[in-house]
Amino acid sequence: MSETFQTLIKMKDTSELMVDLAYSALLFNNRSLAEKVHSLEDYTDKLYSKMIELALDMKKGNEPEMAKILIRLATGIEAIADCAKEIADVVLRDIEPHPVLKKSIKESDTGIFLNKVHFKSIIVDMPIGKTGIAQEMGIWILAIQQESRWIVGPDENSILRSGDILVTRGPTGSKKKFAKLTSGKIRSL
Amino acid sequence: MKRNRRKKRSELKKIKYRPASVSELLTQMKDVSEHIVDLAYSALVFDSLEMKEEVDTLEEKMDEYLYLIRMNCMLAARSTEDAEQLSGILQVASAAEGISDAASDIASIVGSKSKYRLLLPMVLKDADESIQRIRITSDSCMVSKKIGKLKVEEITGTRIIAIKRRFVWRYDIDGDVRLLEDDILFVRGVKDGIDELRLYAEKGAEWDSYRREVSS
Repeated sequence: MSETFQTLIKMKDTSELMVDLAYSALLFNNRSLAEKVHSLEDYTDKLYSKMIELALDMKKGNEPEMAKILIRLATGIEAIADCAKEIADVVLRDIEPHPVLKKSIKESDTGIFLNKVHFKSIIVDMPIGKTGIAQEMGIWILAIQQESRWIVGPDENSILRSGDILVTRGPTGSKKKFAKLTSGKIRSL
Repeated sequence: MKRNRRKKRSELKKIKYRPASVSELLTQMKDVSEHIVDLAYSALVFDSLEMKEEVDTLEEKMDEYLYLIRMNCMLAARSTEDAEQLSGILQVASAAEGISDAASDIASIVGSKSKYRLLLPMVLKDADESIQRIRITSDSCMVSKKIGKLKVEEITGTRIIAIKRRFVWRYDIDGDVRLLEDDILFVRGVKDGIDELRLYAEKGAEWDSYRREVSS
């Protein structure tokens, strides 16, 4: 049972990350982010097949009702992941994105930000979980560009380095404070 | 499920062209597509038919937005370059609408008769961000303050998805909503953030008094 639940949660978290990343890819017209969305979609497909198999086992184990509900939920989540892929698709088609696309993402309730971690910033060499940015500012790190490679969906143990480029989402009201934090202009939260 | 669908078809609203800003429509669609997913999971976590109904209402709104965006984009195209660029907008709009369809499918589990749906809250509590319910007590510093003034999301990192005030639900939560005693907030966020909000709402702590230890 717990494996089933864990797979489902992984699907849910990945699908949400994908939607955020897809909008980020559009906003910054960034091909590598869009490609990451595509590979995460392959990953959710795999999780989805695994879910179906686990659910079918449950059906054999006389829990057909539970199996049905889990499949319905997993199918919905998988559909969200597909939509994220469709959004990222625009970037990969090499069509110059319409300015309206960027404008509408920028004016949305939830903002998407791009910041570079300055060597003076207090978050340098800190694991994400210790920085408190999620709890204190509502800032969620979607992806980190470390040197030339991308880490998507970093966890709380991922360590931030000087020079990292952070793609984040959060309330627009936190934008300035977060910029000050990453640039080293404020020394505490 | 089949019966619902038939009922829906007879109730489909007529959609007429009206001039609208494509940019505003798209922003709205993006916002709704995010809010509706939170609401759908929230409906599951609290087994709430009211939230499920709100998901369905939003989903219908998204259908209308999509039609309007299509009409306005078609009228805006004057050249092949326009057509190419506008197709990107339509692609994003239809994906946002697709997300709301998926959210509505997820929320529809609430209507299922199977008692196993009640296991889902247990499953969902382990997600990166969880959804919880918080009641504002009479001695809370949040009473009669506006959400925007308090900066709830900026201070606690939690997002208010819905508010239940006696028997009335509110889903269009913006900064102008004033919080009252006994309001029940449905919030999404990381555990620490929700715990902090709970201190202010239920335990009488002073707003923004909680300092996290940032070790270096």
